This record gives sequence, structure tokens and C-alpha cells, in this order.
Amino acid sequence: MAIDCLVLGAGQEVGKSCVVVSINGKRIMFDCGMHMGYTDSRRYPDFSLISKTGDFDNALTCVIVTHFHLDHIGALPYFTEVCGYKGPIYMTYPTKALAPLMLEDYRKNMDRRGEGEQFTAEHIAECMKKVIPVDLKQTVQVDKDLQIRAYYAGHVIGAAMFYAKVGDAAMVYTGDYNMTPDRHLGAAQIDRLQLDLLITESTYATTIRDSRYGREREFLKAVHNCVAAGGKVLIPTFALGRAQELCILLEDYWERMNLKIPIYFSAGLTIQANMYYKMLINWTSQKIKETYATRNAFDFKNGTNLAEIMINGFHQFTYFLDPAIAKFLLLRIRNFDRSMINAPGPCVLFATPGMIVGGFSLEVFMQWAPSENNLVTLPGYCVAGTIGHKLMSGKPTKIDLDKDTQIDVRCQIHQLSFSPHTDAKGIMDLVKFLSPKHAILVHGEKPKMATLKERIQSELGIQCYCPANNETVTIPSTHYVKADASDTFIRSCLNPNFKFSTCSSVDKSYLDSNGSKAISRLSVSDDRVSEGILVVGKGKKAKVIHQDELLNTFGEKKHEIQFAYCFPMHMNRTENIPSASDLLCSLDRCTLISRLSTILSNELSEGNILDLGEQLQVESFRASVCLSDNCPHRLSGSFQNNSESVFFCCCWAVADEKLAWKIISIMKGSTLQTT
Amino acid sequence: MEVHVMNSVQQSLDNNQSLSCQALASLRSLVINPTTSDSTLSSVLDALTRSLQLSRDSVILYHTLKLLTDLAARRPHLSPFALDLLRSDSLFSSASPRLVGESLSALLSLTSTGNDIDAARFVSLCLGPSVSLRLCLLRNAEKLVVRESVLLAVFLGFTRDPFPYVRKEALDGLVKLCKNGDFDDRDVIEGCYCRAVELLRDTENYVRSAAVHAVCEWGKLLVISSQDGNKQDLSDAVFIQLGGMVRDMSIEVRLEAFGALGKIGLISEDILLQTLCKKVLGTNKDKIYKPIEGLDIPASAVAGAFIHGLEDEFSEVRMSACFSLRTLIVFSLQFACEALKLMMDMLNDDSMIVRLQALDTVHHMATTDHLKVEKIDMHRFLSTLVDNSSVIRSVTRKILRLAKLPQFKLFKLCIDGLLGNLETYPQDEVDVFSALFHIGRNHGKFTVHIIEEASPELEPTCGGKLGFDSTRVAAFLVLAISAPLSHEKDVGDIPPRIFSYAVTWIGRISYALSDIMNQEMLLAYLSKCSRSSAISLVDFKIKETLLTVEGDAPINLCSTVDSPVGMAWKNSGGTSDFHHKIQLGIGKSVVHAEYELGEHSELRKDVNLIFKKVKDFWSLVQLGCTNEALKGIRVCKEEVASFNKESAGCAGAVAFTLQYLRVIEKLAAVWEYRRLTKTFHPYRVENLELRFAKLDRRLREIRNRFIGLTKGEELQILELLLVAWVLRLSKMEICCYDTTIKLLSSTVAHAEFLHEGSTEPSNFMVEVKKSLHDVGSSSSGSTYKPLLFEKLLDSFSLQQFVLCGTPRYIHAELKVPGNDSENPLPFIPGLPASIPLAITLHNVSTESRCWLRISMSEESTQFVFLDSNLICSGNRSSNVVREFTFVAPFYLTPKAISFTSSVSLGIECFSENVDRVKVSGGPKCELPYLCPEKQIFLCKSSERSAFI
Repeated sequence: MAIDCLVLGAGQEVGKSCVVVSINGKRIMFDCGMHMGYTDSRRYPDFSLISKTGDFDNALTCVIVTHFHLDHIGALPYFTEVCGYKGPIYMTYPTKALAPLMLEDYRKNMDRRGEGEQFTAEHIAECMKKVIPVDLKQTVQVDKDLQIRAYYAGHVIGAAMFYAKVGDAAMVYTGDYNMTPDRHLGAAQIDRLQLDLLITESTYATTIRDSRYGREREFLKAVHNCVAAGGKVLIPTFALGRAQELCILLEDYWERMNLKIPIYFSAGLTIQANMYYKMLINWTSQKIKETYATRNAFDFKNGTNLAEIMINGFHQFTYFLDPAIAKFLLLRIRNFDRSMINAPGPCVLFATPGMIVGGFSLEVFMQWAPSENNLVTLPGYCVAGTIGHKLMSGKPTKIDLDKDTQIDVRCQIHQLSFSPHTDAKGIMDLVKFLSPKHAILVHGEKPKMATLKERIQSELGIQCYCPANNETVTIPSTHYVKADASDTFIRSCLNPNFKFSTCSSVDKSYLDSNGSKAISRLSVSDDRVSEGILVVGKGKKAKVIHQDELLNTFGEKKHEIQFAYCFPMHMNRTENIPSASDLLCSLDRCTLISRLSTILSNELSEGNILDLGEQLQVESFRASVCLSDNCPHRLSGSFQNNSESVFFCCCWAVADEKLAWKIISIMKGSTLQTT
Repeated sequence: MEVHVMNSVQQSLDNNQSLSCQALASLRSLVINPTTSDSTLSSVLDALTRSLQLSRDSVILYHTLKLLTDLAARRPHLSPFALDLLRSDSLFSSASPRLVGESLSALLSLTSTGNDIDAARFVSLCLGPSVSLRLCLLRNAEKLVVRESVLLAVFLGFTRDPFPYVRKEALDGLVKLCKNGDFDDRDVIEGCYCRAVELLRDTENYVRSAAVHAVCEWGKLLVISSQDGNKQDLSDAVFIQLGGMVRDMSIEVRLEAFGALGKIGLISEDILLQTLCKKVLGTNKDKIYKPIEGLDIPASAVAGAFIHGLEDEFSEVRMSACFSLRTLIVFSLQFACEALKLMMDMLNDDSMIVRLQALDTVHHMATTDHLKVEKIDMHRFLSTLVDNSSVIRSVTRKILRLAKLPQFKLFKLCIDGLLGNLETYPQDEVDVFSALFHIGRNHGKFTVHIIEEASPELEPTCGGKLGFDSTRVAAFLVLAISAPLSHEKDVGDIPPRIFSYAVTWIGRISYALSDIMNQEMLLAYLSKCSRSSAISLVDFKIKETLLTVEGDAPINLCSTVDSPVGMAWKNSGGTSDFHHKIQLGIGKSVVHAEYELGEHSELRKDVNLIFKKVKDFWSLVQLGCTNEALKGIRVCKEEVASFNKESAGCAGAVAFTLQYLRVIEKLAAVWEYRRLTKTFHPYRVENLELRFAKLDRRLREIRNRFIGLTKGEELQILELLLVAWVLRLSKMEICCYDTTIKLLSSTVAHAEFLHEGSTEPSNFMVEVKKSLHDVGSSSSGSTYKPLLFEKLLDSFSLQQFVLCGTPRYIHAELKVPGNDSENPLPFIPGLPASIPLAITLHNVSTESRCWLRISMSEESTQFVFLDSNLICSGNRSSNVVREFTFVAPFYLTPKAISFTSSVSLGIECFSENVDRVKVSGGPKCELPYLCPEKQIFLCKSSERSAFI
């Protein structure tokens, strides 16, 4: 069995995440994203690689979407409605709730730019109908064999990592995740699972980020200094993303520092949060959850009118979806309208859209930018061509909006460096924690991924790949055999049977003979299971039996391997005895043996030497005087049968081989004294 | 009935038949009947013994077991025999693991210590197939007296068990062994350590968390047992091993890991610095530790451990990380500097308790001289002075008092910060003034400088009037007057007129500086300073007082808390109840293991921390913030109540602490009235009387219900008594002058007796003695001067109580077997009724005189003396616990169909032999009660004839 992993998107790049994994006959598509950088066919994953005929329903078991970012979900309506996939789609509840907003927003933008419409609003609605929402840690049985489960991923609200298991093969697809919490969302959280494959994002494959407190401090300092000096702060943000975190950060700070300066939102909100509330609370961080449990301040009276949110032309305003923000709004809600733009006194304003691409944030920016008292914060990343990008790249004094309009920029600029992705250490930590058999890196830049791949392989010893788009990686998967167990084995398994030993292993140092230090350490082992033997008969079911039963089962006898060796030992006769070979009576033999035993006991440090009359025994090693000239164990011709020597025939079991040769070498090296 | 049952039982046994279930049921009725005679019960035991030998039926065995348990529980004197039976082969070698388990738990429940199951049996039971039994045995291995070597083998063996809970118990067992036992065999230590390290990678959270604990404990032992040269490397290696666990996904494991990191001790600087940096530092690249062959671990594993901890999602983990940092900063100055930066960042945390813990860590740095102020981001630090939470502000000020600022710029920032604090939160005035005074003394030159700068503000404006209404001016004045007392030399001069300005503020200033000097002293000081600019303070009394204060300053200021549990109370200030509970819960789970060990010293530490807090609360009381103090004390009480009382020796300490808290609580309540009289009058005398009564009761209890206190401890309690008497005396409305004076003098005498040859008496004690003398000599007690006593109280300041002995708590349990409102006891009106009582006395000595107080109402109260012989005859007559039954007569039965009366048990105390109680035939002295009152229900026995 093998797991085939076909990367349709986000292979060695960031954008249009899409991975199709075939695992024990099941095919799962993880994420179905679009690439924001292209407007041609490269914008979508190449779905034809999944099925030449376009029969996706049979080609795929299910589609799983990790979160609502467009590079993870953007191609979904196209895939379901245009390409015709009708199978099940899984995503978490918040993703399901928020995805249509994102998609709709994107569609409108596409429309506005006059690009050909890829899908319509109806498509989005139809597509969302096919979605089956899942909860965190809820195990969903997709079909008889396939189980999936979502784990918390941080990143954005509703983001999840997905665990999939078919038969014995198991894997995790992380999507985007964050291993460090922020004010708003918690850190990714997953169980220690037995995995064959881990597919992880690697946006920051080589970056190691500092503590988030530093970033927060800079931000708060900038804002506080500005308002303390009577300036106005503009925070242009997209509704979903960092806005929540910045809100909470400011809110906390305001409360703590007893600041009374107003914070505005560029919309009047009657809030519909109640509906989403219970669903979303589990997705935030500890602090927010606690706030919910204690304040219970979310009892909104008349909040069913979504239309009211769409004031001032903000087509996309979803603060209200987030309980944390809802709390914030309740405490400090201030509606902001155009008339207040030039009102005197300091204030803080959150306005959409981010990057100052247009709309209200641009309008405000135009008013506020000329004063050096004011402050504009910018996200860590701005798309080229936006005003945000212009502001970030060097400090311009003038920005040409269009042919007629020019903005005088004298205000302060603060760049935020908040990011919802995990850093390199986080990726390493996760991989180390999960310890999968194989890892695949996606969603990152090629050279950095290669570095990370090396690290994973060398530091963690885990086989790692970073395939390019449209490549397939095949890895072996685990396959378990079901076996019966015999009663004896089960009985022996029930009772603990641990053994202690003081020597942990055969030490290399011992063999090297230079390190004479023998390591003795108390270690414990439990042999219950290792006493079992797996028996697989032809046409029969596999069975585990206890080792004692083995011979019985097969009606076999126990065989043992013994070594034998017959060799002469030098003898020093003090008296004249006619011949060595014929006169050795049993008495003599006994004497010889007892002499031998004396020699050995002087030379040999280990083993228990037993003198059994005509035989000498050390562990399983036995030696006796050999009188037969044709002893089969004698290496013919190698020894002179002279009177000065007497033959000893030795035999021993495999286990004592080392000991035996030691004894033999002692015997060969010494001389027997006889009277 | 008895005879009948016994006969039938005997009969069946004679026929070599085991007892039937029915027979057992009838035996049971005999056992639970309190009137059954002992001889019958012994024959029941015999019968059970024989029956056990005959039967193998598990149902019968099970019933027999229950019967034996009941018997042992009800008749303590027979319990040894019953226990022997329980231990016998017939139950323990039964094939049913359930039965074995039951008999084991019965054994454990009946005896508290020393269950000597022999080792062979223990091992064979452990090795049996039943997992639940195995778990039970491992969990209770301590209570069964099994040799350490056997336990070690068993625990170590079971770390291999396929059942995760068994593995966890085995690890826990190993930890306990490691803490109690004394191992010097290196093989064993290494073996256990390696096994624990292996289990760090277990699939189950709880096993991993137990493994972390085990690695920590055995690692410490490993370090101790190693040769000298190796120690540093070893402890580094153990530290790194633990540091690798801080990225675990389970919060439980992370908590345990951070707890463990703080415990390892000596760590080399490289490694410590590495924990504060996620990138692998140059010195640690490719550095690999080999504590034991086969356990190689790279130094990089510990990278950023604390960074991760401090930005953890869970406030518990963040707190734990802060706390561990605190213990590690002493090892390296550079590490402390780095950590300080992080702590400054933590001041931005969203959870107040984490911020507090961070400040606490900074405070710790300050007290251990590891605080390098120039490294502090002063702006950020001072921003906590305008924090919304008063606790945060106050801790910040505490740190500032200790700070030594190298530059004038920083000093000015600091002063500005405090002034800003004062402006935003006028309620902090007292503490801000005090902080200013301390800072001023620490920085004499800067102070003089800043006063020069600010002097235009201080000068009278128009018409020679000072800006009296400006608190800011007052703050500057406080700062100014601290200069002559500076620790620095040649600080320069403050214009003398400033001091005379300060005199106009004397009330507020002296209030703020009450911990340093009282008003008179301050006035003397100010007037002296205002007269001449060059002051020689050598002969000035303040200096001494100040010095003593300074000496214990770190302790004084350190209202810090030692364990995360302790933080809980601060919570109540700002965050919600819910959070509070969580905090307690988590805290408990963290420290649970330690408590469970019954480490008395651990508990003592906690208890003493509580006392430390109480002292702080008392200063609040003196400042008039009684409600806040009471709130704090209440939280403390909750905290103390949550302490583990199970282990030997702890119950007394916990009970004592609780009692002490109660006393202080009541004292504070009374103290408040003292203040009230000063400001406005109308209050109700009854109310005050009531409060005094409560206080008296609590004091009496703390005085008489604890034994085993050291001299010093007793003295402190006596001092509290004195305060109570003096308080009473200062209230003429309620004082009963003669009696109270008598009590006062007797207490003083007692205190004097205790003082003999030991420590100096406190200031208050001396004053009281003096004034008592004055009162006695000046007249024959006829003139009453409440003001004198009122003044006396000013010299009282609560000393911090330090518990060093092991107090034992005298208490009793009263039971009336089988009596409730449904089953009343019979009585015949007019005739005495008998009330059977099962009494358990704890820590009551045979010399003490115990009384039963039985009362129907105030009028019909009756005392019954408990003969000490009777007490001695108790069954479980260890010195500590005495248990016996006693039938008390109640003579005053009313002519009614039914009535209830209440019984309680008191112990006569001879220390207060002032005749305040006058009940004929009753105790001569005060009688503190040892148990809550017990209701007894009696009913006229109408069916008398039917009975006879």
C-alpha cells in the first residue's frame, strides 16, 4: 500500500493551495484555492490531472477546506459549479459561515475589474449548500473507511488542520497554522497521532520570529504617543484578519491605562453576533473564552438586521461575527461618519479596506495624511500598486492618486509585523511533536523549503519532500495484519512480566577492548508481547501464539545447534609412560580433566567451571579427552599425533561461542603437567 | 434475639456449612445495633472467621467483607481482629479481583497508617491480571507498608505497562520514592531517570506530565549523586531535557514543565541565555550533552523555552514561566538583564495576574540585587503606575522603593510617574507618599536637586499662602523632608522653611509615614529640621526606628506570593470570580502533588505567606480601608481552607491559620469602630458589643484550642488578646472596667512570664505594661481614662506571625447515633433522659476537664462533667485521638410531647479564671467549645407500656 500525494497548487510557491492525496483507495482533495497573482488559467489548480474525463465525483472521495482564505477556498465554487464536482465538502463551522462573504467579495472585485466571470453569486450559494460543517475534534466518518477530524490551527478564526485515516494509513494536512497564540486566537493544538504522512505549510521556512510582545509594544507605543500628542490614528484593515487582534490589543491597553480617547469603527453596527456566537467562541483564545463565560455581555437585543451593517459603502464588514470584537464594540462602540473626519481632538479609527486601496480608508487617509501629528499603521504586507505599498517603500512626501489628485503625506507611518503563520521553529516543533514517518512541505518558497527539508531530515530523521506543482510523491503506508491470539498468549499478556537487567546492551566499547568501562545501568523490560510469535499459514488467518506453544503447534522437535572441536593439547610428561594414546585409563582422564580445570580456573575470569569427572563443563561448554583417532570433529592432518599431546574433544552451544574460543585459546596456550 | 441468631449461626457452622446470605443479614442487624454486647460481637467475629474458611462463594465473601467493615467501623476496639480477618488469605487470595479490591479499600479506609501487607503479597497482587486492582495498589503503595526496594522494582516495572494510567501511577510512585527515599546506587538512579525520559514521548498527556515530574526529581537526584566535575553538565542536561517539553501540545504538560524548570537549580549561563532566545546561540551550536550513555541531547532543544512560555495562550502557563524565571535569575546577571526585558514586555499582558507575577519577578530581582535599572525601559515600567488595577500600582511602587537609580533623568521620570499616579488615582495618596519618602532617602542628592527645581511651586504664592489644596505640593514636601534622612552622605541642604511648610501637612504626611514614625516624632523631626539647616541626627531617635524599618524592609515589602496558588487572592481585586476559580483549580492541580506528599515544611511556607499577607492587610486596616482588608482576609481564608489537611501534622497548622485569620477579621471589624468614633458618632452600642463578643470568642478559641505552639507564637497571640482588652477599655460604653483591667493585667503577667529570658517585648507590650502600672498607681482604679487606652492603641502594629511549631488543634466530634427528627430518643417528662453520645476527642490531654453542655434554652442549661477516666478508657486511645461512647443524663426534661436540645462539648480553660460564668454545678472557668452544637430530638415515649 502506498500514499500518493499529487500537489496541484502551493507546491514550492504560495497560492492556490490544493493537494490531492490517494490513500488506501480513497482520494481526498485538501483545499481548493486560487492564485491571486494570475488572471489566466494558472489562477486555478489543474483539475484535469485528477480526472481526464472530468468525472470528479468518482475520482474524489471528498474535498476538505481548512480555512476561508481565498488561496485555500477560492477555486471551490468553480470546481463544484463549473467543473461539476458534486461530492461532499468538509469545512469547519466558522469557515462555512465566513467563506461566502470572502468569495462574494472576490467575485464582485473580479466583476468590477471587468474580468470574465468565473462563477456567479448563485454558484457560491449552491456551492455552500454542498458543504458539510464539522466541529473541532469531531470524528467524521466520510464513508466506511475514511475518517477525518479537525484540529485547531490558529491562523484565522475557523482555521483547522485535518487528520484523515483510511484503514491503517493516517495523515495530517495542516493548512495554514500558527504555533504561537495571539490576543485573539490560540495556538495550534493537535494530539500525538501515529502518522504516515504530514503535509505542512512552510511560509516561514527559515525565519525565526521574536516574541510577539515586542511587536505589540512597538504598536502600542506608536499609537499612544500619537494620541497623547493629540494626533489621529488611522488603522486601515481588512475586516477579517489582524483587525481583531489589533482591536483587542488596543481595547486592553485602553482599559488598563484608563485612556478616554475614542476609538471609532467606520460603520454603525447592529450586531448579529448572537447567531454566530456559540459557534465561534470555541475558536478563540483562552482569554476571550473566559471573557465570554464571565461577562455574558452578548445579549444583543435587536440584532437581526444585516443590512444595517452595510453603511457607508462597506461591503465587507465582519467584525460583528467575532465575539471578541462584539465585546469590544459593546464597550466602546462609536459610530463614525464622514462629518467626524475633521473633528478636533485625538482618536483612533479602524477603517476598511486594508492597504488603503480605496473606499473609506482612502477617504480618511486623504484628510489625515497632511498632518505630521497623525499616524497610519500598515499591515506587514501590502500588494504592489496600493497606496499602502507606496507608503512602505520609502517615505514619500507626495502620492499621486490620479492625474488630478495629489496627496501630501506628512503623517507618521507605522508598519505592523504581525503574521498569522508559524515560524520555522514552530514547524520544527510540530513535526517533532507529531513525528510522522514522512513529511511534505507545501505553501512556501522553494529555496527556503529546501533548507527546512534538510533540517527535518537531518535533525529529526524524518523523510521529507517538497514537490513542485503537478508532481506526485509516493510514500509507503502502514499496513496492519489482523491476527488471532492464542489463549496462552493472551494469558501471558495479562500478567505483567517485567525483567530487570543491569546491562543495557552489548556495548561496543567492550568489543573494541580499548574502552574497558562496562556500562551497567538498571533497565527494565517487559517481555509479554515479545514472547509472542506471529504464525501466518497459507490460506489461514494469521495467529499470534506464545513461544512455548510453537513446537506443539507444528509438531516439531526442538533443535539446537552445537559446535564441536577436537584439538590436541600440549602435555608435559615427567615420567616415562609408554604411549599417550593407549594408556589413558579412566583414572588418568580424570586427572587430566582436574588439571585442566585448575588451569582454567586460574586463567578464566568468567563462567562457572564444573569438574564432572571425565568431563569439564563451563556453562554449555564441555570438554573431554578424545581417544578416537577418527574423531569427526578433528581437523584432519593439521595436528601431529605425537606423544606430547592429548586430544580434547569440545562442544558448546551457540550462545557461549565467545567463551568457548576463549577457553580453547587458553587450553592451547598452556601445558598439562602429568605425573 | 441475639441468642437466637447466634445459635442458628453456630448450628450451620457446626455442620460445616458456610453462612447463608440470610444468616449474614441477621448478623448484620446485630452488628449495626449499638446495644449488642461486645461478647456477642466477638462471637460474631468467630463465626465469620469460620465461615470464611468454609466458603468460596464470592457473593458470600462479599457480604462477609461488608459485615467486617461495618463491624470494624462501629466497634473500634474490635477492629484489630476484623482487620486481621480482612487481611486473611480467604479474602485477599480470592479469584475475584473485585473482592480483593474491595477488601483492600476497606483496609485502607479503616486504618490510616501502617497497613502491613507483606511484600510478597503486594507484588503478587500487583502482578495479577486485574488492572483496576493494580492501579489501586500503586496509588496507595505509600499507605501499605512495603519495603522501598520492592516498591522501586514494582514502580519501575510498571512504567512499562501497556495501560497508560498504570504508567502514570508508576511514575508518580517513583517521584514519591525519589523524594522520600535515599538512594545512592547510581545504576538505580540512572535507570529511573532514563525510564522517565523515555516516557516523555508517551502518547498520553497525563503520562507525559507525570514523566516530566519524574525527570525533574530523578534528574535532581542524578545531579546530586554525581561526582563534582560532572555536576554542572548534568544539571544542564536535565534542564535541557525538561526544556524540550515546553512545546508540548498539552497545557498540563507545559505547566508541569515550567514548574520543573524552576526547580533544577544551578544552570550554566549559556543554557539560561538560550532559553530566552529562539535562535540557537553561537556557543550552543552543535553542543551536545551526554548525561548518560544513549541519552544525547543537543543544547538547541531548550531554545526559546521561556519565550514560548511567556507568550503561551494560557495565563497559567505564562504565570508559571514568570515564576520559574524568578528562581533562575539569581544564577546569572546577564540572564537577569535579558529576563528583565521580557518582564517589561509582560507588563502588556492581557491577564492581570500575569502582569502581577511579572512585577513580582521584577520585585524579586530588586530584592536580590539583580535589578539593573538602566536596563529597564523606564517609560513602560512607569506606565504601570497609571494601571487600572490598584494592586499592580502598589506592587510597582514597592519595586520603586527598592530601586537605585543611577541617573537624575531616571529619577525625575520616576518622580513624575508617581506624581502622575497621584493625580490620576488620588486614593493612592498614602502609598505614593510613602514611596516618595523611601525613594527620596535612597537618592538624597537627586532629591535636593529636584526640590531646587520645584521650589517655585512650593513657595507661597500670593499673600503668603501656600498652595494647600495641591496634593502635588504635598508630594514634593514629602520628598523634601526625606533628604536629611538619606542613606547617602553630603546630600546638600533643603531650605529649612520647606520643613515648616511640611508641618502644615503633618496630618496627611504622618498618616502616610505611619510605618516609619508616628506623628509626634515626625513633628519633632520637622521642627528640628526647620530650625537649623545643618542637622545632626546622631542623637535623634528617628534614626534608630528608621534603621530597624530599613533592616526588614525587603521582607516588609515583599508581599509577594510564592506559589501560583497564592496569587489567587489578588485576582479578586480586578478580574472576575470565574477566573478566580479557574486559577485556584489550576493552581491546585499544579501544586497538588507537592501537597499530597504532606511535606509539612511546604505547608508551613504557604501558611507563613498567608501570615505575611495578613500583616499587609492589617496596615490597610490601620489606614482605614477595613473593607478591602476584610475582603483580602476572606480570600485568604478561602485559600487556607483549600489547603490539604489530610496529611499528618497539617490539619493543626491549617486550623490554626484559619483561626488566626478569623481573629484578625474580627479584630479589624472592631478596630473600624475605633476610627468611626473619631469622625462621626452615631452607631449602635449593641452592634459594637456584638462585635466584641465575636472577637472574644475567636480569641478564646485560638488561645485554648491549640497546643504545641512555641513561646513566640503564644506571645503573639497574647498580644492580640491585649489589643482586644485595650480596645474594650477604650470604649467606655461597654468596657466593664474592672473585669477588663483584671483580664488585662493577668494577660500581661502571663506575657511577662513567657518573655522571661527570651526576645524583647514589643513596643506595644511595653506601653501597655507601663500604662497599666500608671493606672494602678495613680488611683485605686476609680478614674477611668479611655483616652489613655485610645492612645495606647496607636503604638500597636501587627507583627508578622511566623509559624514555626506544629500546632495541634483540639477539637471533638459529637454524634448521637441514630437520632434525627424522625427517630427521636424517648423520654418521660420530669424524669432524666439518657442521651447516648459517641465522642471523639482530638488532641485533648487527659488532664483537661471536659464538659458537656446540654441546653434546651438559655434558662435550662445543664453541664455534665466528663470523667477523665472515662476519656482514658476510650478505644482508639492514642494520645491524639480518643474515641468513646458516653451516655449523658439530661435532667431538665420539660413537660412536653417532644423537644429538642443542643449538646456541645467544651474544655475548661484555667488561664482565664475570672469569674464571668456563673452556672451552678457547671465549670468554674471559661469554656471554649470544641465542636459545633449538635441537635438532639427527644420525644415523649407514649408507648411505654408496649416496650415493657
